[in-house]
Amino acid sequence: MSGAAGAATPARRRLPRTLVIGLVVVGVIALLAALGPWIAPHDPDAFAMRMRLRPPSLAHPFGTDEFGRDVLSRVLAGAHYSLLMGFGATAISLAIGVPLGLLAALHRGWVEEVVMRGVDLMISLPPVLLGLLILAVTEPGLFKTILAVGLVYVPIMTRLARAVALELLAEDFVEAARARGEGAWHILAREIMPNAWPPLIVETALRITFAILLGSALSFLGLGPQPPASEWGLMIAESRPFIAEAPWIGLAPGLCLCLLLITVNVVGEGLRDLLDPRLRGRGHG
Amino acid sequence: MAEAPPLLDVRGLSLGYATARGTVRALDGVTLAIPRGAAMGLVGESGSGKSSVVLALLGLLGKEAALAADRLDFAGEDLRVAAPRLRGLRIGTVFQDPAAALNPALRIGLQVAEPLVQHRGLSPRAAHGRAVELLAEMGIPRAAAVAQAYPHQLSGGMKQRAVIATALACEPELLLLDEPTTALDVTVEAQILDLLERLRAERGVSMLLVSHNLGIVDRLCDGLTVLYAGRVVESGATEALLATPRHPYTRGLLAALPRADRGRIGRLAPIPGSLPDLTLPDPGCNFRPRCPFAAAGCEAPQALHPVDARHLACHRAEMLHDAAWPAPDAAVADRAPLGGTLLEVADLARSFRLGRGLFRRQAEVRAVDGVSFSLRRGEVLGLVGESGCGKSTLGRLVLRLIAADRGSIRFDGASVPAMPPDGFRRRAQIVFQNPDTSLNPRQTVDVALRRPLERFGLAHGAAATREVERLLDLVRLTPAYRPRYPHQMSGGEKQRIGIARALASRPDFLVCDEAVSALDVSVQAAVLNLLEDLRDTLGVAYLFISHDIGVVSHIADRIAVMYRGAIVEEGPAAAVLAPPYHPYTGALLSAVPVVGARGRAAARTRLKGDVSSAPTEGGCRFAHRCPAERGTVCRTQAPPVQQAGPGHAIACHIPVAELARAPAALAVAE
Repeated sequence: MSGAAGAATPARRRLPRTLVIGLVVVGVIALLAALGPWIAPHDPDAFAMRMRLRPPSLAHPFGTDEFGRDVLSRVLAGAHYSLLMGFGATAISLAIGVPLGLLAALHRGWVEEVVMRGVDLMISLPPVLLGLLILAVTEPGLFKTILAVGLVYVPIMTRLARAVALELLAEDFVEAARARGEGAWHILAREIMPNAWPPLIVETALRITFAILLGSALSFLGLGPQPPASEWGLMIAESRPFIAEAPWIGLAPGLCLCLLLITVNVVGEGLRDLLDPRLRGRGHG
Repeated sequence: MAEAPPLLDVRGLSLGYATARGTVRALDGVTLAIPRGAAMGLVGESGSGKSSVVLALLGLLGKEAALAADRLDFAGEDLRVAAPRLRGLRIGTVFQDPAAALNPALRIGLQVAEPLVQHRGLSPRAAHGRAVELLAEMGIPRAAAVAQAYPHQLSGGMKQRAVIATALACEPELLLLDEPTTALDVTVEAQILDLLERLRAERGVSMLLVSHNLGIVDRLCDGLTVLYAGRVVESGATEALLATPRHPYTRGLLAALPRADRGRIGRLAPIPGSLPDLTLPDPGCNFRPRCPFAAAGCEAPQALHPVDARHLACHRAEMLHDAAWPAPDAAVADRAPLGGTLLEVADLARSFRLGRGLFRRQAEVRAVDGVSFSLRRGEVLGLVGESGCGKSTLGRLVLRLIAADRGSIRFDGASVPAMPPDGFRRRAQIVFQNPDTSLNPRQTVDVALRRPLERFGLAHGAAATREVERLLDLVRLTPAYRPRYPHQMSGGEKQRIGIARALASRPDFLVCDEAVSALDVSVQAAVLNLLEDLRDTLGVAYLFISHDIGVVSHIADRIAVMYRGAIVEEGPAAAVLAPPYHPYTGALLSAVPVVGARGRAAARTRLKGDVSSAPTEGGCRFAHRCPAERGTVCRTQAPPVQQAGPGHAIACHIPVAELARAPAALAVAE
C-alpha cells in the first residue's frame, strides 16, 4: 500500500531557533553560577572600606558597594540563589501539583471537590501574602523561600494537570484501555502521562520565570537568604540607600536578573513551539 | 446554434500550495461550467480538491496558494479580480457546519440582515424586516421570534436554514454549497434538501453542490463532475453518469458504495491503494496505480475529452465499456451458521444529569431507557438512529464502560456484574469511530497490539511478536507497520489497527461504534469487507452502531431502530427495511438519499422538527413528530410491542395490518 508514505519520513523535527539560543544562554548562566566562587575575581564577602562605592573599572567591572565589596564577584556568587529558587520552586510545585491534579481527574466526585476547592482557596490568596504567611511563622532562609514559592504555584500546576488529564481521559484510546479492564495505574502511566507531559513541561518552563521573580521579590522584602548572602533581590534591596550616588550596585544584579528571566522565558517559548502542536508553524519562519 | 454563455465558466483551474515537503498540487486543470439555473454536483473523496475549488471561486485562498486558470469567469467577469466584490452579493455560500458559520454572540436576524446592509445599503430596520421574511421563506416557523434568538438556541437544521437565508439574502445567482448537510441527521438533511430543491425551482438560483455523498447529488443536481486527486475524471448529466459510469474511478466509487436499496449483496468492491502523493504529480493518469484496467498508454497525459454527451479523462473508457468491474476476492469463506445466544441485555437504562448547579433544578436526560435485546454468536445486530438517540451510550453500557442505572447483561450464560471480570473484558471489545483519537499517538502499532496480548496473558516475547504479525495480516497490513506511529498512517490504516487491537484478545463480541463512518467510500468498503470476513472466519458477533442506513443494511442480520433511548422496532434486516414498519423507521428510510431513485420524491415522509424537540411524558416518545399520530392514545399511553412477523417487533399503537399499508420507502432493486 502506501508503504513509502510514513516510514520513510524522518520523525525528527527541527529545533526552534529560540529554544537553541535560550538554552545556550541559560546554560552559560548556570555554568557561571556553578563556578561562581572559583572564577570570581575577588572574595564576594571581603570588606575593603577604602574602596567604597567605586564606579565600574577594569579591576571592578561592576564597581564596588558600600563596604567596598566587588559587585561582579557578589553577582556571580549570588547567581545560584536565583537559579535554585526558580528550578527548585517549580520542581516542588510540579511534584505536589501534578499528582493532585491527576488524582482529581481520575477520581471525580468528592475527592475532586476537596482537591479543587482547596486549590481555589490557595489561588484566592495573593502569592506574596501566601509567601509571607509561610515565612512569617518560620525563620527566613533559602530553602524556606523555595518552599514558599513552590507552594504558591501548586494550584496552577494542579489545575493544568487536571485539565490535561480530563481531556485525555475522554479520548477513545483511554476508553479502549478501559475496555481491556486496565487499572488506573496503567492508564495513568501508559496512556495519560506520555501525552500529558508536553503541555506540562511547557507550562513548567514558563513558570520558572515567575518563580525566580517571586523568589527575588521575597528576598527583596527580607524574607529570603539573609545578609551577607548576595542573593540578587537582597542586593537590590541593600543598594537602595545608594541609588543616587552608586546606581551600579543595584543595576548589576537587576540587569542580570532581567537577562536570566528573559532567557528562561525564551526557552519556555521555544519548548512550546517544539511541543505544542497547536502553535506549530506559527511565527519563527 | 449560439448557446448562452454559462454562468460559471472554469477552465484549466490549477492550484498549488507551498508546503515544507514541496508544492502540493491540489487542483490540476479543473474544468467545469454551470449554465444559468442549473445545479452541478462536485463529488470526490477527501483530498480530491473539492473544497479548494469552492475557495478558489470565492477568492478566499491563502497567500501561500498559487492559482492559475485559463478562465475563471462568473457572468462574464473574471473571478480572480471580481471575487471579493461578488461574494456575498451575487455568489452565496453555505459551508458544512452551521454551528461554525454563525457567530454565537449575535442574534440570528442581525446575521441574516448583515449582507443586506453591507452590499445592498439597506437601513438596519429594513434589512431586519427582510431577514424575517427570508427566514420564513426558508420554512422556519415563527420567523420573527427566531430572528431574535441566538444560534445556540436553535437546532442544527434551523441553524443551517438561517445560514442558507444569509447566503440568499442578496438574491445571488449562484449558490456554493460545500457539504451543506454532512453535519446534520438524515431526517433533517432531507428537510434541507427539500428546501434547496424548492429554492431552485422557485428562484432559479444556480448551484454548485460539493459533496462526498452521491445520493444527495443525484437528488439535487442535473450535472455531475467527478474529481480525483485534483483532476476532473468524468463529467456529464447526473442521471446518465450514475447509471452508466465510464471512468474506472467513477465505476469504482459506485461499486464500493453500500446501498440501502440493495440490501445484502455479497462483498463490496473496494478501490485498492490510496490517493497519490500530490507533491509529485503524475503527468499521466493519476488513478493508474489503483486502476484495475490500467494498461499501456495510461502513463500518457489524459485530456478530458467529449464522449457521447459527457467528458472523460480515460483513453480506455470506450474499450472497457463492457468489461466488468473486478469482483472482490472470490475466496470468501462460507458463513458459519449462527450459534447459540451470546449476549442477552434486559431493561438496560442510564440517565445523565444536565445543568449541575446550586440553584438550578437538575434536568435529566434518559439516554437509554429500558432497552432489551439479544445477540447470537456470529450475528450482526445493526443499531440505527439519529444523533442523540442513545446508540453510543447503549454500546458502552453493554460493555460496562459506563455504569447502568438498572438492567442486566448476560454474556455466554453468565451474568456480567458492574465491574466485569477479565474474562468478559477479553471476550467483549470495541472499535471506535474516529481513527485519529482511537490510537494513542505516542504508541507504536507494535506496542498497541502487544498490550492486550500481555494484559490477558495470551502471548509474551517472541510469541507475542508472531501474534502481532498475525493480527496485522488479519487486517491486511504487512509486518512493516509494527514500528509505525499513528501519525505515519492513513485513516483507513489507523482504523484497521483499531480493529486489530480489538481482535487481539480473540473476542467473541465487538461493539462497532460508527466504525466505518469517518472513512472514505473506497476505504470504507475495504473495512466493511474485512469486518464481514472476520465475522465469517472467526464467528465474531457485532453490535454495529451506525447512522448510515446503507452500511447497516449491507452488514446486519438484524436491525434495531432506536429513538430517544428506546428501541422502537427490531427484526430481521429485510423485514425492518420493508413495510410494515414503525412510522419512525419509515421516515428514516425515506429520508435516506439513494443513488438512482429520482422518482422517490413523491413518496417521501417528512418529520417535523428534530430529535431534540419537545419530549412527551408517559406517551409514545415519537408522538410529537409522528406523521401518523393518533391523538391522545399516542400522547398519553406507552405503545404496545406488536409482533409483525417472526422475530420482528414494532412498538406502536397503530395495528400492524395498517402499518403494512405504508408505501415502501426504499424502492428495493428488482
